[in-house]
Amino acid sequence: MEKLISKLTEKHFLFTASFVIRLALVAYGDYQDRTMAVKYTDIDYHVFTDAARFITEGESPYNRSTYRYTPLLAWLLTPNIYLNMVFGKILFIVCDVLSGLLIYKVLCLRGLRAETARCVSSLWLLNPLPMGVSSRGNAESILAALVLGTLLCMERRAQRLTWAALLYGLSVHMKIYPVTYALPIALTLRTAEIRVDEAKKVSRFKKLVGFFVGFFNQDLLLFASVAGGVFFTLTALFYYMYGWQFLYETYLYHLTRRDIRHNFSPYFYMLYLTAESTWSQWLGLAAFLPQFALLLVTSWMYYKDLAFCCFLHTAIFVTFNKVCTSQYFLWYLCLLPLVIPNLSLTVKQGLGLLLLWFAGQAIWLGPAYFLEFEGYNTFLWIWLAGLLFQVVNCFILIQIVTHYKPTKTPLRLKAE
Amino acid sequence: MYFKLFYVVSALSLFSKCLCLGEKDEIQNHCDLLRQWLAPSSVRVELNKKGFHREVTTTVEFRSKELSSVKVLLIHRWPRDVYVDPYQLASLSDQNNWKILLDSAIDLEVPAHKASGFVTYVYPFSTGPTSKLFKVTIPIHGRYHKPSFDGKMLKSVDIEVPELLLRSEKCAQLSSLEPHTVVDAPCTASNSSTCSWVKVKPQQDLNPVSFQLPVGDGSLMAHVCGGTLLVTMICCVALSKYMWKHQVI
Repeated sequence: MEKLISKLTEKHFLFTASFVIRLALVAYGDYQDRTMAVKYTDIDYHVFTDAARFITEGESPYNRSTYRYTPLLAWLLTPNIYLNMVFGKILFIVCDVLSGLLIYKVLCLRGLRAETARCVSSLWLLNPLPMGVSSRGNAESILAALVLGTLLCMERRAQRLTWAALLYGLSVHMKIYPVTYALPIALTLRTAEIRVDEAKKVSRFKKLVGFFVGFFNQDLLLFASVAGGVFFTLTALFYYMYGWQFLYETYLYHLTRRDIRHNFSPYFYMLYLTAESTWSQWLGLAAFLPQFALLLVTSWMYYKDLAFCCFLHTAIFVTFNKVCTSQYFLWYLCLLPLVIPNLSLTVKQGLGLLLLWFAGQAIWLGPAYFLEFEGYNTFLWIWLAGLLFQVVNCFILIQIVTHYKPTKTPLRLKAE
Repeated sequence: MYFKLFYVVSALSLFSKCLCLGEKDEIQNHCDLLRQWLAPSSVRVELNKKGFHREVTTTVEFRSKELSSVKVLLIHRWPRDVYVDPYQLASLSDQNNWKILLDSAIDLEVPAHKASGFVTYVYPFSTGPTSKLFKVTIPIHGRYHKPSFDGKMLKSVDIEVPELLLRSEKCAQLSSLEPHTVVDAPCTASNSSTCSWVKVKPQQDLNPVSFQLPVGDGSLMAHVCGGTLLVTMICCVALSKYMWKHQVI
């Protein structure tokens, strides 16, 4: 068994095999689309391709209804029209395998042996979920690669800080949620307060001033200017090209999104019932506050371990968000392999938590199916299942937090 | 010489008169055939599938024999409670024996009370030379409705029977087909021109088909809000407590 695992995770074999399997899935998907009634390709892929087609005709990609992404994605997919429609899928599976490679490199930098790092990376590379998502034509792997690239460069920030800032600015442009990493990154890059002797009494005011002054150091200013520069340049460029519609569809829609249709979020039924009432805005704020508060707490408690902090950030963001679809899970699942080596959970406990997570989804999917495809009024059951799923997610996060043992990386050892 | 000219001219005029009369006869023939098509024909509407995703199948059966120059048009007037997905229709277009034209842009996500009804023009083409039957299946999707405060769990949606229109390229004198109403509508699904169509009177007054969509229970608003906020607060506090306890120093 051990021999089999070591053979499977041998470097060249692992990455080649994971790419070949994904390629085979893309080929199969093409076959299924042509021959069967139920299509393999996700509807989103057709949305991207239609938007790319508008671009090739010199028009705005936002002419395609429900295209709510950056124009950059449609521009990247214009070869779908000029060459072959399968180009986008190939791009996504390449980014998927690249994400696996980045996970491997980050794990090595965090002190893992190469063999163990490959074993953990295979949790992503040989995982059917990201395989299926990328081969069906979802663009999540591009963002996973960008976020992991940022984390890798941050691990080597002495030499790669500018690259980290560049990749970070690009990832925030593509999807808003990485903006939550700004606080832990800022806390990581600031000049930490110098530990003084207990005998020397420093006033609280001085401590507070010292804390804020620490944010104005060369590294942080460089990071902020490069990341901010990339983000605002791209925003200005696309605003110039496509106007207000670009700003609305790419950013404002997602920020103000109140999807009253059923989704995994525990807030869905509350928002549906109160959509037309005067309390709607206040309830929206009430839903935002726990999410915001938790992100602040997480940043402060875990910024010293950036990879773990980002994982918690994204998991909390998704769990407490007003809208939650299964696509969002990939945002934190790509960071989970970075966390797993430091967990003191047994394999049995780990699998138990995984099964619990799937069970929580299944309990939600049942009544949701009966509502959408059978026409039964199962709103109350969907609401309760949504609450249960949130409790399950929180329980799993608590288990991860309580069983996490941070690595003593060379950087941290030096500081201590 | 003048006599010869006179004979040639009268022969020519007699000949052309015969031609005109012949053409007029042909037109009359086509119009008569069209009138036959207007004879009572059956229009049936069926609803298939369940839940929010349904299929509306319209079956039209004509009494008279097929005439290749007659074009058929079905006008569906849809309520705001449903919508069609233009992208889905486009992907199905090569499998269907009909073409569809929408009268307005469709917002796929807006709830029913913020949406408006729309009209579809369906142009079926016959499946064979002797067919008198046209079958059109349109996939429709239900919109979310406002929650109900009167305890009703389901909202009724009515789908009207479509209007059946005919025209013949070779019969322009549609006035001769009175008392049938003449309406203007796009000639084809490409909407490049408008033609006059004759409306077929239905065999009998047909009731709309209806189906039901689930709606939220507004009377539970306070309980749902309270319950949701309570659970999320408890989760938030519990998670914060454990993170504080196990922070990375």
